[in-house]
Amino acid sequence: MSSTTNPSCAAICRQAALLLALALVPALLTAWLHPKRPAWNWTRPTVTELVLADAERLTPVIWVDARPDEEYAAQHVPGALSLNEDHWDELFSRFLAAWEKQPDARVVVYCDSQRCDASRDVAVRIRHESGLQIRNVFVLQGGWDAWLEVHKP
Amino acid sequence: MNRLTWILRLLAGGIFLVAGVLKVLDPARFAADIDHFRLLKYFAVAPLALYLPWLEIICGLAVFAGAWRRSALGLLLALTIVFIAAIISAWMRGLDIRCGCFGAASTAPLAYDLLFDVVLGGVLFWLLRVEGRPGSPPADEV
Repeated sequence: MSSTTNPSCAAICRQAALLLALALVPALLTAWLHPKRPAWNWTRPTVTELVLADAERLTPVIWVDARPDEEYAAQHVPGALSLNEDHWDELFSRFLAAWEKQPDARVVVYCDSQRCDASRDVAVRIRHESGLQIRNVFVLQGGWDAWLEVHKP
Repeated sequence: MNRLTWILRLLAGGIFLVAGVLKVLDPARFAADIDHFRLLKYFAVAPLALYLPWLEIICGLAVFAGAWRRSALGLLLALTIVFIAAIISAWMRGLDIRCGCFGAASTAPLAYDLLFDVVLGGVLFWLLRVEGRPGSPPADEV
């Protein structure tokens, strides 16, 4: 297509509207067919939060660190397993192997602070992907910051 | 100048194309990423998670199509400004989240994403200016 002038404002707006409409087609197909499509009736899952003092009283307990690999490598709750969504499959099989050794253990997940969602997401995913076999999953209120405050190096 | 413009178009279009494809691979995860910003009710999150990646892909491709370039660049600039606003809002509220801009590949802290989006917005703005005013001779013929 050859042209001697740029499209006019009206033509550009029409094109933009067409691009916006065009994206609807594959989006609708994704909503209909994609195996990982989001649920329409989803509500933010609730996970019980524990304060550190209560979490430390649990026994047996498996601590799960939902922070990125590098933060886990730098420092973590003693004995905690790393389980983040960046390498989920690999880390989740390690976690399952640990849980199978003590299936009555409570699981406490933590991330950075009160304002991160990773621990809640990981806790929900543990419950979901274990086929609800692992039900006693909690989130540490205040996360790693809360731990550090009590266990200052 | 033409070569620089061509490279920047390739980069800008390519970035949105890749970002869109990575998000399309796992829309449920992208929905969770949007939800983490706590800006929208969930009834709006799911449709957005399904729609936005395809808009990025289509506009990313349209950047390479001469006649559609201006409208695609305009939409991508508008999207980038919205992303920047969302990241600043999350940052100001102290949310400890990932931006999800590149789906599962998003691992950088929000500050890096903000910087990336500001630079990307600058590039898009510059490319739009290079395209020339609507109704004027096209950039390639100037």
